[in-house]
Amino acid sequence: MAHHSLPGCVRRPSKRGDTRASARWGLWLVSAWALLVLTGVCGCRKKDDRLTVGVAFETLQTEYWVASFEIMKAELERRNIRMLEAIADGDANRQLEQVKTFVARRVDGIIIAPKDAHTVIPMVKAANRAGIPVVLYNRPPAPSKAKSITVGVDNFSITRDTVLHMCELARQVKPPEGKRKHEALLVMGDLGDFNAIGRRDGFLSAVEACHDRVEVVSRVPSEWNQEKALAGVTNGLQAHPNISFVFTSSDFLLPSVMSALKAAGKWEKVGSDHHVILGAFDGDATAYALLRAGYLDVDGVQDVFYQSQLVVDALLGARAGRAVAPVVLDPGLVVHQGNLGTLGPRMWGAAVSKVVKPSS
Amino acid sequence: MPAYSNGPLLVPATAAPPANEGTGARPRRPSGLGSAGLVLMLAVLYFVLLLPVAPDLANIENLKLILSNMLPLLAVTLGQTFVLITKGIDLSVTAIIAAASVAGAAVMALPGWTGAAALLVGSLVMVGLGAAVGLINGLAVTKLTMPPFMVTLSTMMALSGAAVFGTRGTGIYGLPAVLAVLSQEELGGVPYAALLVVPLGVFAHVLLFRTLLGRWLFAVGRNPKTARVSGVPVHRTIVLAYVLCGGFTAVGALLYTGRLETGSPVLGQRIFLDVVGAAVMGGVSLFGGKGSVAGVLCGVLFITLIDNSLDILGFSSFAVLMTKGVVILMAAVLDATRARRVAA
Repeated sequence: MAHHSLPGCVRRPSKRGDTRASARWGLWLVSAWALLVLTGVCGCRKKDDRLTVGVAFETLQTEYWVASFEIMKAELERRNIRMLEAIADGDANRQLEQVKTFVARRVDGIIIAPKDAHTVIPMVKAANRAGIPVVLYNRPPAPSKAKSITVGVDNFSITRDTVLHMCELARQVKPPEGKRKHEALLVMGDLGDFNAIGRRDGFLSAVEACHDRVEVVSRVPSEWNQEKALAGVTNGLQAHPNISFVFTSSDFLLPSVMSALKAAGKWEKVGSDHHVILGAFDGDATAYALLRAGYLDVDGVQDVFYQSQLVVDALLGARAGRAVAPVVLDPGLVVHQGNLGTLGPRMWGAAVSKVVKPSS
Repeated sequence: MPAYSNGPLLVPATAAPPANEGTGARPRRPSGLGSAGLVLMLAVLYFVLLLPVAPDLANIENLKLILSNMLPLLAVTLGQTFVLITKGIDLSVTAIIAAASVAGAAVMALPGWTGAAALLVGSLVMVGLGAAVGLINGLAVTKLTMPPFMVTLSTMMALSGAAVFGTRGTGIYGLPAVLAVLSQEELGGVPYAALLVVPLGVFAHVLLFRTLLGRWLFAVGRNPKTARVSGVPVHRTIVLAYVLCGGFTAVGALLYTGRLETGSPVLGQRIFLDVVGAAVMGGVSLFGGKGSVAGVLCGVLFITLIDNSLDILGFSSFAVLMTKGVVILMAAVLDATRARRVAA
């Protein structure tokens, strides 16, 4: 593109002038932004001599993670510990950068809810090199030389106890007409996830113990995805219309199960002739509401409040040089229609503000 | 701002020497306060202004961290720069990262390899895959005359799906230790990864400003019709830009994979904003025909600094996203304003 400067023509802005204008713009904008940040930060910051702990969560995508994060924050605040937060939005590389930033800031401890068992290892190694204690929340790391403490939930035992309660109910309720046993459907999680495997195994162990009354006819691999769960349960119910026993490995898949059961005409309250014995795992607000409304028979509950205490105890113990077991498990609790009045309030779902209205 | 568009290929066709003769002036590099200088100055200003409230910004560990975080992003952004200069865009870079990560990791994790051999072959597989995807993108854009947006969006979806399908959504582990060393360790304060990315930057600079292909890239981005009349093989140039983009992106994928010691089918899914943002902030025009390696370097520095500083200030990830979005939008507005002024 050639430009010829002819007398009388409009002058094309010079590159130097253009650059100066850009520089002015840029300087103004950056200064304004930095001042804004400074104002905000200076306005809300005081000198802080408290212990500082970095909390890096992989995601806040589900109610469980949000509740865990908020309860963790409250627990640290209760103990007068300053919390730095970092959410990686499902990006393991971003989480690595965030954890390394905590390390660079020389925090007193790091709590990580990792994306998976392997990508967390470089993060733990980075903290180990700096001598900063690390507690992993909810997901243990793959075997490696990196040193950390894991606080999790006993997925196997809680699920087994939950499903054993479902088995008891199955013994009290007659199977559908023409059937000798209750036909069962299991909604599994992502089998690359330690938690999903523990829950699947807990389910199978319990069902094995009542094989005279319950037979597994369908296993739905949801990969922790609601759409896949809905499609899988719908297909399972079409292939086996007599299914009368359903367990989902996470409460957050309950809406999918509910939709599929409704579509199959099986969404009935406890005590009705066509009620499907329904169990779930987690303890979220949906499960709490469904228990109260009489649609859900039993829920295996993670005691998130207790887990948060365990996490902070483990972190402070490691920091003080005390011996802390590498894996600390929350035994959880099983909430069902019989103990809902007493144990229900201990469900974290009962504490979160979200109001879930199960439709009939 | 500097314009790299006044090479011999862009003077009126009647006066233009044949492009493939390679005679005449080369694209001019910035003089005075160019894009790179401006962005660097802004980054320094931002850094200095935040120091009183975030003194950790300047601690040596944090400075090393910023450098280390910059390197893979720089490799990917340099690749994207070739395409942006031709007035294209490659949305598939995130999928190339994921696909290259799992393909390379699958090769490296095969039993029977020694560390260095596994790394070498795995890296070649990654770069080959990236370049192959770039070739497909480039051919679709040129031979099928499809919009780059549509082509690369489709490639992105197909490739992401393939990466997840091929691994069933799980990572690939057991990679050679030398990859972790390359991506995470340092020698005398300089990350080993710099030994890979700095030559890449030099290569990109030489290619853009010292070779005929570089002039063709700028010419095509500035005005493809004029470039074609001037004898520039426009299609071939565009295809090469996408191939280079794929190859450079694969190098970034190698480093990302090494940092996490995992081949992941979801690796790099959220870095597209950073890639384009860093390029635009570094003076690469979304309207084509403009850009420099030094500018991109400073853009990547600035975007990494924003990320790091907001983490240090304890901003939530949502606030970080919003901030980066606003900063990148400002850079894009600035770019559009410049383009309008030049057009006027």
